[in-house]
Amino acid sequence: MARPTTNDTNADASPRNGGTDTETNRNTDSVDVGTAPDDTVRSALVGDELELSYPSSDETVVDCARLDVPEEEITALVGPNGSGKSTVLKALSKHLEPDSGVVRLRGEDIRSFDRPELARELGLLSQENDSVGGITVEDLVYHGRYPHRGFFDSISSEDREAVDRSLELAGVGHLRDAELGQLSGGQKQLAWIAMVLAQDTDVLLLDEPTTFLDLHHQFRVLETIRQLNEEKGVTVAVVLHDISQAARFADYLIAMHDGGLYDWGPPEEIVTEQLLADVFDVEASVRYEPELQVLPKRALPNDQS
Amino acid sequence: MGESQSAGTHVSTGEQGWITGTLVLFCLASTIVTIVAGFVQVSFGAYSMTVLEAWQAVTDTDVVFDLEAWSAFLMGTERPEMSTNSIVVWEIRLPRVFVGIIAGTTLAISGAIFQAVTRNELASPFVLGVSSGAGFAVLATLVVFSGLTPFLPLIAALGGAIAFLIVYGIAWKGGTSPVRLVLAGVVVSMVFQSLQQGLFFFADDLGVVQTAIAWLTGSLTGTGWSEVRIATLPATVAVAVALAGARQLNVLLLGEQTAQSLGMRVERVRFLLSGVAILAASAAISVAGIVSFFGLVVPHIVRNVVGGDYRQLMIGCLFAGPALMVTADVGARLALGGTQIPVGVVTGLIGGPYFLYLMRKQRSMGEL
Repeated sequence: MARPTTNDTNADASPRNGGTDTETNRNTDSVDVGTAPDDTVRSALVGDELELSYPSSDETVVDCARLDVPEEEITALVGPNGSGKSTVLKALSKHLEPDSGVVRLRGEDIRSFDRPELARELGLLSQENDSVGGITVEDLVYHGRYPHRGFFDSISSEDREAVDRSLELAGVGHLRDAELGQLSGGQKQLAWIAMVLAQDTDVLLLDEPTTFLDLHHQFRVLETIRQLNEEKGVTVAVVLHDISQAARFADYLIAMHDGGLYDWGPPEEIVTEQLLADVFDVEASVRYEPELQVLPKRALPNDQS
Repeated sequence: MGESQSAGTHVSTGEQGWITGTLVLFCLASTIVTIVAGFVQVSFGAYSMTVLEAWQAVTDTDVVFDLEAWSAFLMGTERPEMSTNSIVVWEIRLPRVFVGIIAGTTLAISGAIFQAVTRNELASPFVLGVSSGAGFAVLATLVVFSGLTPFLPLIAALGGAIAFLIVYGIAWKGGTSPVRLVLAGVVVSMVFQSLQQGLFFFADDLGVVQTAIAWLTGSLTGTGWSEVRIATLPATVAVAVALAGARQLNVLLLGEQTAQSLGMRVERVRFLLSGVAILAASAAISVAGIVSFFGLVVPHIVRNVVGGDYRQLMIGCLFAGPALMVTADVGARLALGGTQIPVGVVTGLIGGPYFLYLMRKQRSMGEL
């Protein structure tokens, strides 16, 4: 049931209709998103025939024929707990060696990059960040410059600019001298995001950056990501917990189910009541006008899956 | 939230901002303590001289500016003629202070590195098996292979390194984790300690037992220029690499995953820095034996005062280590009048309770 990349339905559907000006610009630029993505959409990251498992067990967690993260778009990975979203992200960022299959970054096998090289191309913000209390936000963000600095290099003006820019973009410029341990969960998350931004990569992978945040900070995080994507063309893959949020926010969705790919494509095309039932085991109503809206109603009995 | 109020006025200190007033003051105070304690050490003792005489001997220009004397001290060549006071000060008491300085520095830095590498504030050369491995090697040499006694420092270092490799090997499972490292360290330590205790039964000479105990508790008694000569080079190398690696340690503290996604080859960096920490600990163990609690407590004291940034912490340890070791050795040598006790007893008696006090004060400490 896992349909690989090609999304053959709704060939004429336009990508998401976010309503902003840049949004409509993009719609005219990108053609035929709904047809075969392999031909028309360039993928920044591709997972090919991936089989993933953790060293601690033999069980295959993810088995997925093909997985695309389109260039200069925001892709959201959605799916219930344990469906393999985080595992996929780990494999895409070379934190987890696939049992079989390859991950390609712009066509090149990710294994051909050494760690610093990769860290200049691709940033990852993990789900759980170990608590570090005693350092300032500014210090943390400077660590984002790590892959750009040699062992004995002191900081350059370039580093300084990148840090200032990231602090500003993440909206934590006023907190730069505050210690991390004294910040609220939301502020902390924004500080970590500023760190990944300072890494200055073209591809950004974020594992549940909005979980545990209040609504205000959830939007702050998502707006920061959107801004980064629009202004600098950064490719983003983000694991989001909330399907309705993901459907409104992302250009593409990857719906994961049981370690496999359930569906792939622009939210308007793939978010259906059937998908919510199959993937999330919930009954929900989906409205497409005036904009895509998912309204979950109740849990379906578990034997459905 | 007042987003931008400070953005315009903020003077970007960048990473240079880490040399704080507190740090400078702390280092200055530590230096003064080291000098005062060292001077006390030089002035008092079995051979009595006045403070003034001691001062004169320390600043004796005939010795200080005599290249031959220095070559005798540092290279082990023939010592030129000098007055009795100068001999007592320069041959017996001062080198002991220098050994204290070296041992204090290296132990503090070793502990600080281990604490960052394992991301565990309870880590120290002791916890990770280095001390017990070195102790076992020393004891085995004294009791069984007594012919090798001249190479004791080298053997101690070797024992420490082997024990840590065993710990690392056990903890390795496609990578290591701080928790596994500490657990393996504790177990390996216990095994080596049992072996040590077993070896005591084979010691037939009371003198050997006493030498062994002095090694195992850590003592600066009887150390001289030859010990300074042994430890200076490894200590200098270890300190230099540790200072240069402070930023790596800071990044390691962000967590393994983060360090890796920032482009660090985590296992390699962790192993190399551990190697530096072993080198430092071995330098100390080879001249002073196993001084308990020192490598654990000193980084904590420094962290409490100057903060957790390793660039600051390393500098702080560099100054606080000598101050505390030399002071502790004053207590070990002079507190009981005629009898000297091993400095490890002093550090254990003071360091242990102080560590407990820290634990009660900071709730977050000791979480694995």
